[in-house]
Amino acid sequence: MDLSLIVDFLFKGLEISGPIAFAALGAVFCERSGVINIALEGFMAVTAFTIVWGSIAFQSIWMGLLVAIITGVIMSLIHAVATITFRVDQIVSGVAINIMAIGIGRFLSQNIFNQETQSQLNPYLFPTVFGINSFAFALIPITAICWFVLFKTRFGLRLRAVGENPEAADTLGINVYLMRYSGVILSGVMCGLAAAVLYPAKWINGMTGGRGFIALAAMIFGRWHPVGAVLAALLFGYADTFRIMFETKIPIPSQFVQMLPYVLAILVLVGMMGKAKPPAADGIPYEPGE
Amino acid sequence: MLKLRFDKYRLMELLAPVLGFLAALVVLLIIAMIVGETPGNAVRAIIKFTVSSASRLASVFSVAIPLFISGLAVAIAFRAGVFNIGVEGQYFIGGLVGALAGIYLPLPKFIHLPVVVLAAMAGGALWAAIPAILKITKGIHEVISTIMFNNIALALVNYLVNGPLSGRGEQSLEPQTRKILSTALFGKLNHWFQAIGLNVPNHVYLDYSLIVAIIMGILAFILLFRLRFGFEIRAVGTSIDVSRYSGIRVKTVQLGVFLISGAVAGLIGMQEIFAIRGHYTFEIASGLGFDGIAIALIGRNSPIGVIFSAILFAFLKQAGYGLQLYTSVPNSIIYIITGLMITFIVIINEIVTRYIRALRKKEAA
Amino acid sequence: MSDTLLAMEEITKVFPGVRANDGVSFDLLTGEIHALVGENGAGKTTLMKILYGLQKPDSGTIYLRGQATVIRNPRDAIAQGIGMVHQHFMLVPPFSVLENIVLGEETHAAGVLRMETPAEKVEEIMRSNGLPVDLSVSVAELPVGLQQRVEILKILYRGAEILVFDEPTAVLTPQEVDELFKTFRMMKEQGKGIVFISHKLDEVLAIADRITVIRRGKVIETLQHSEATKAKIAELMVGKPVLLEVKKEAVETGSAILEVRNLRQTGERGNAVLKGVNLTISAGEIYGIAGVEGNGQSELVQAITEPVKLDEGEIQLQGSSILNWDVRARRDAGIGHIPEDRQRFGLLLPFSLADNLTLGRHHRPPFVKGSQWIDSAKIRETARKTIQAFDIRTPSETTPANALSGGNQQKAIVAREMSFEPILLVASQPTRGVDIGAQEFIYSQLLEARQNGKAVLLVSADLDEILSLSDRIGVMFKGGIIKEFDRTEATREKIGLYMTGGEQDA
Repeated sequence: MDLSLIVDFLFKGLEISGPIAFAALGAVFCERSGVINIALEGFMAVTAFTIVWGSIAFQSIWMGLLVAIITGVIMSLIHAVATITFRVDQIVSGVAINIMAIGIGRFLSQNIFNQETQSQLNPYLFPTVFGINSFAFALIPITAICWFVLFKTRFGLRLRAVGENPEAADTLGINVYLMRYSGVILSGVMCGLAAAVLYPAKWINGMTGGRGFIALAAMIFGRWHPVGAVLAALLFGYADTFRIMFETKIPIPSQFVQMLPYVLAILVLVGMMGKAKPPAADGIPYEPGE
Repeated sequence: MLKLRFDKYRLMELLAPVLGFLAALVVLLIIAMIVGETPGNAVRAIIKFTVSSASRLASVFSVAIPLFISGLAVAIAFRAGVFNIGVEGQYFIGGLVGALAGIYLPLPKFIHLPVVVLAAMAGGALWAAIPAILKITKGIHEVISTIMFNNIALALVNYLVNGPLSGRGEQSLEPQTRKILSTALFGKLNHWFQAIGLNVPNHVYLDYSLIVAIIMGILAFILLFRLRFGFEIRAVGTSIDVSRYSGIRVKTVQLGVFLISGAVAGLIGMQEIFAIRGHYTFEIASGLGFDGIAIALIGRNSPIGVIFSAILFAFLKQAGYGLQLYTSVPNSIIYIITGLMITFIVIINEIVTRYIRALRKKEAA
Repeated sequence: MSDTLLAMEEITKVFPGVRANDGVSFDLLTGEIHALVGENGAGKTTLMKILYGLQKPDSGTIYLRGQATVIRNPRDAIAQGIGMVHQHFMLVPPFSVLENIVLGEETHAAGVLRMETPAEKVEEIMRSNGLPVDLSVSVAELPVGLQQRVEILKILYRGAEILVFDEPTAVLTPQEVDELFKTFRMMKEQGKGIVFISHKLDEVLAIADRITVIRRGKVIETLQHSEATKAKIAELMVGKPVLLEVKKEAVETGSAILEVRNLRQTGERGNAVLKGVNLTISAGEIYGIAGVEGNGQSELVQAITEPVKLDEGEIQLQGSSILNWDVRARRDAGIGHIPEDRQRFGLLLPFSLADNLTLGRHHRPPFVKGSQWIDSAKIRETARKTIQAFDIRTPSETTPANALSGGNQQKAIVAREMSFEPILLVASQPTRGVDIGAQEFIYSQLLEARQNGKAVLLVSADLDEILSLSDRIGVMFKGGIIKEFDRTEATREKIGLYMTGGEQDA
């Protein structure tokens, strides 16, 4: 086989896996603290727009990234306030945000770029290294940082405690609300990072294409572990890259490759019950004193 | 017969959707102003497009039909504590199966119509079956599994319609199936409405799916409140422990309600496939399943509540088009408003519920 | 001599409709084990929640070592040397023992966890208190006794001088209780003060230096160990001699209704919970199972009322094996069950009383026509009759169950089970948490069932109840019925002996 093609595949796969991986990392933090988040898709839909907007407005991709992160945080705050402070059902809140997000990008694009379905081109980008968006390389150190934070720091220990047994954490003086807010906000931050590697050159309506849901599948497949989730995301991303690059050469219809992440996640759930368990208090709103 | 308990608590419970809706409306007007439109214009545009004539009102109801079916499907499952988020995938699959029955089964009209309806229900139930079985045998939470199955469904129908079931070339270059036989198509009911004096022009779709929706609503009501199985559904949704202790076969109930929910979900796309388009394509409107989740919750999981909730959503959708047509406010704003409204309503709901609970406790003491 | 570690003076706490604590005064000396005793709902837990900062008193003062202090939240309490071991453990199952101990009080360097110093400190505490546990194991894998030990280590790690134990022996095996009491004595020697909340009078008498009895939110009396007897404590708890006058008529017993043979079951943690239980109950008799909670009674009841996994054994109802029958089949065959945990299992609270009174038979005629169509008129009619027959206080049969008072809810559950005319009635702790009036009612119902030729299995931790009602008594100890008595030959002393193992060594 052509060596340069393989190398190309390796790097391209990293770039394509990037958004899923970052979003999956965010999902891990969120669910580990006990909050289900099906609105990653919606978060990313908005941050994908704001990174373009911010870059153009401030003439710098780094500023764009900052704007994207801030936007991710704002979106996540909606989910956090609704589900943590008001104890609204976490699925419904996620659904509401996903619906909202459909309109936000289009609305802003209409007003800022006078075009509803796409933005203008953003020339301020991360440098291209080995043919891909160099921000993709940030995935590796960031994954390591996430793993460290979750398992080796006081914050991570408390976050995980709150997701498993919030009553216990509360009696030990840990602020359950604060921990859960942190978890949700981190998922917003990570969706900002995901936008940086998705396609910061231009916003197109619908560009997230379900990646938020694939990220959930990656989180499950990775058994709610940051490294596992990223490996799963890489698996899905590389499978998709393989499909894109070698579509005409393989007999499998592309849609089955599209299905792969979800089928794998289901198989994980079926095959490894008991070990593949979400955090015990995942999805249950916390009511103090009851 | 229908004993509606109207006490002050019920009235308070109704506060949430009303307040939430008004709050969302306020946000809408604010955004309209930001875009440079006066609130008055915005309100006028909305009213003009939604309620100003029988035709317009009929359009709202027409849009409400699939939304109602979706909300109903989700609500039935919620009653047993089953979170069927898979409605989204179930209607894509159900619609396809129904369409296939409509394309490949030559039957006389009065048989063909019920058959396609049943086929669509079977398709939806089939797609719900695997997550349902996974839940009761392996304890896998249905929220996770159904979201996965949603996406699998979309990819699957994409493949099927592009490939083996394609009817491309016959009519257009768009990926779609062959045409549905005329014996299965959903005819319009407009002439009936016109006969009783409501001028519903022919471009508004009040078709057989309206009948299907009404029948499903009635059946759902009977199921939940008149049948023993429905009692058990509500019992399981209230407390699995108590249900198990009293001999109710909890897993059977959960499986059954999941399949019923899937079956109803299969009908969501009927209007678009059988009345509007006449063929199946994976380009049929998506997102109705997720809308159904919000609709069910706002309608408090009761068939009657879901009616109002669905009409509310339909109203908002139409309002968006009205704004786009008559003002400079773009349609995309309605997504933002809808999402905000759902959020407002559920938050207010929580506050009200807690307040009522505190009041009840004080009363009992 | 001993100082006063803790003094709570005139503590009052009112919730809507109930005075949980009414001018309660309670004190604790160094090196003392002070028991707090009372029925469910008497106010013991509320008082301790106030001490631990989970509740704020409406009035009253707390003094720690002579200084008045305010405890705003659990963190405050911990900081002031108060530790609480809750009835339901506050542990994070997937975390290791060490992680559970340090959680909330972690040693860190700029946020990064440092576990070596804590590990050393914990090892020291384990040594000096005689509480060894493997620090690296995840808590989920530990038996209940060791889990409780982790809870104790948690509070010792935080420097607790005052340790509050809320019903600690409820979930322990008898050996684990012995270990716990050994620990109590060691901590006592170190000058720590222990508050021991319990309703188990034997244990209280075995370990406590002083005993304070609470009833209906008020302190009735504080006894010294030397002047305390079970009868005295019970009298103070309830307000009148406990043994109700129960009139039992002679009834001729019929054929065997329930036969249990050689039931063996292994529990979740690999220990044997049922070790060859044998039991026969005939029609027209009440068989009482006496024993300290946790000796297999709940498992036995569960095996009879629902399908469970057994290692060995047979259960027969009127000659037919019911091992594979699901709950519905067992109920249809005539097994009625008054559940131990009535809050959780007994009623569908938002549903009407009428619906609740038919729950369990709702699937059969006359409550349904055919097999599905609900006959609500019939349900309401039957409910009205039941309500009248059993004197349940409610505005109407359509009132939701959660609007009834606790006592009437209990009555409703008993009424329902009786109204189904079971051939075997399993009553598990039927009068726990029930007021005297309802208690008499339930006793009369059980006796009436016996009169009508039913078989009754009565499981109770209340020995007086067993003695009042039973025709035959079986004492359960460590998963088996080690001795059966006929009522005529049973005495408290004899039964009490077997409840703790009989002539064998523990």
